[in-house]
Amino acid sequence: MAGLLKSFANLQISCKFLHPRVEAITVPSRGRKHLNYWPRKRNPIWLTKQTRVQYNENLTADNARFIKEVVDTKYSNSELSLGIAGSLRTSPLKVEPIEPKAEWQPSYRRTGVIAKKIGIYPLWLKNGKRVFTTLLQVLDNHVVRYIPPEDYKPILFKRKHKNNPRQERLGCLVVGSDSCDPQKFTKEYCGLFTDSGVMPKRVLTRFRVSPEAALAPGTPLVAAHYKPGQIVDIRGKTIDRGFQGVCKRWGFKGGPASHGVTKTHRRPGNIGGGGEKGRVWPGTKMPGHMGNRMRIHKGAKILRINTKYNVLWIHGISIPGETNSFVSIYDTILPLRRLKESPSFPTYLPTADEPLPEELFCDELHPFTEPTIQFSEES
Amino acid sequence: MASVGRILSHDIRQNIQNFKSLFGKDCRWLSSQAIETQAKSSKENADDKRKVDDRENTAPLEFRFKYPEFLPDPNAAYRNSTRERLERMDMMARRAHIDIPTFYVGSILAVTLSDSHAVGKTNRFVGICIERKGCGLRASFRLRNAIDKQGMEVVYNMYDPTIQKVECLRLEKRLDDKLLYLRDCPIEYSTFPFDMEPELIDETAPVRINTLKVPLKPPPWLERWERQDLKGVQEFEVNEKRRRKAEKHKTPWEEFDLMKIYRQTIPMEDQKDIFAEVYSDLHKLEITRRKMARKRKFNRPDKPT
Repeated sequence: MAGLLKSFANLQISCKFLHPRVEAITVPSRGRKHLNYWPRKRNPIWLTKQTRVQYNENLTADNARFIKEVVDTKYSNSELSLGIAGSLRTSPLKVEPIEPKAEWQPSYRRTGVIAKKIGIYPLWLKNGKRVFTTLLQVLDNHVVRYIPPEDYKPILFKRKHKNNPRQERLGCLVVGSDSCDPQKFTKEYCGLFTDSGVMPKRVLTRFRVSPEAALAPGTPLVAAHYKPGQIVDIRGKTIDRGFQGVCKRWGFKGGPASHGVTKTHRRPGNIGGGGEKGRVWPGTKMPGHMGNRMRIHKGAKILRINTKYNVLWIHGISIPGETNSFVSIYDTILPLRRLKESPSFPTYLPTADEPLPEELFCDELHPFTEPTIQFSEES
Repeated sequence: MASVGRILSHDIRQNIQNFKSLFGKDCRWLSSQAIETQAKSSKENADDKRKVDDRENTAPLEFRFKYPEFLPDPNAAYRNSTRERLERMDMMARRAHIDIPTFYVGSILAVTLSDSHAVGKTNRFVGICIERKGCGLRASFRLRNAIDKQGMEVVYNMYDPTIQKVECLRLEKRLDDKLLYLRDCPIEYSTFPFDMEPELIDETAPVRINTLKVPLKPPPWLERWERQDLKGVQEFEVNEKRRRKAEKHKTPWEEFDLMKIYRQTIPMEDQKDIFAEVYSDLHKLEITRRKMARKRKFNRPDKPT
């Protein structure tokens, strides 16, 4: 019986070999999503055209002065008129955060802030090591509007988010930065700011927030929203480098400079095999347009905060964008480096009785106001 | 009209010729206005002089040579007024804890710093400053000395908090902005004893210029010195090919390129604002340094005769 079974099994195996099969090669879409795709900008429907044509309106000097006066009076009572950059402006509404005020939980998502990249310079740690830091200035940030989760219907969700209950639980907070003269903008764009009562902003960004972390429109966001030592993610548009070759774009080594080499110094070389794979595979690194796309720098540490000028010192130099460009900062989503202790929730609201010191430092950073570093046995 | 124009252009060219001697690679301290003031007529000159005098009440003009690191990078793509102010605040906070003396390329310095690898001990290096680089907190200087007949160079960041003391042992200038050619000179020209005594100098007198001309060793060299217009080097010969190539790579028009000078400099008005911000603090520090120097002078015991 056993022998019969054995022979039957053998027959099955041989049948498998005899069975005609279709020769199929699976082509992995390696890097197609991340390497070369061009993100389409999908603005929300309520966002109107921002700037208008600056045609000559033939204003007399008196008229121009009058318009300036109107603008000043409209936004001055709330200390919102154009002042020195980085100064704290309080809300015109004098509103408390949207009630009820909830205690922070690790599952809650706070809002982020918009910041201007203002430069890079070194700081020193207490162990004498020099670290380069990027300075990001939180430039007059205000909440412009809050969209609750049930009303928030973005034009297109990614497929994986479509039925994701966690994403559907989140609302949306529109934050604006960099107040400008309203004459620069269209009438419709200025209308976006009537609810919050803030001066029209040049830069607007949406942040997904938990309903518990929602803020009333007009609430100012300052650098003290974060604490030194916290880890953040930074999203910004990288420097536009134009059409570049493979050496600059992908860091290829290029060819030798001499020893009889002609016309092959900075070329990519071979771009694929032959036979069944006889074509250029998707995702192959090739010359093309470099930069000018949104990139997220994850896991950056805040080393120092200046509460007067609203500046964050971020460890590292690879923050996307040029100097004087805008980036958005939010609490990191990296699972091991997420917030463990309660931050200022939903945001830092300045109180008169206990003002923050002007400079806040991370533990390992050496403040310049301290004396020279002397190494002792225990350190 | 044409003749007036020609005279004017001649005037400007002459002024540039005067100006040429100052023109080096690192010339953030130059300004468009400084050239203009020279090019104007005598009456206008007098007006400008008065203006300059007014400025001197705030911060003397030589501050741009004394403290070049307070002037930011002139590239407009890197400039931001808030960042520059914060950087200056940090620099002044550090200067309150350490006395960084005035020095130039060619001065002999001694730097003492704490060493993380030798706990509780210090590390002292003496050498000639051959290069000054960077602005703001990135400012650094390079010291060179010969130890056991082996050339050594150390780069120090001026605002490094591990630096305990910077002493200027001999305050003088050399003929060039960079003395990197000392690497290709006989070793005795970059040898300085570690037990050098600081020289006593008159603070009010102009800084001494050492007109020493050093000989170069025969090639191979680290750089093509024949292509650089070096003033502090003795006459040297190069072979025909190198001479021809040096001739080919000359850019004599660059010193007439006003636009280039403009791009490499911080405007006078900006310089005025920058130094007005830090002048009072720097001045106070200078006064305390002078007091300390006088005290040291007084305390020094006379040599037994």
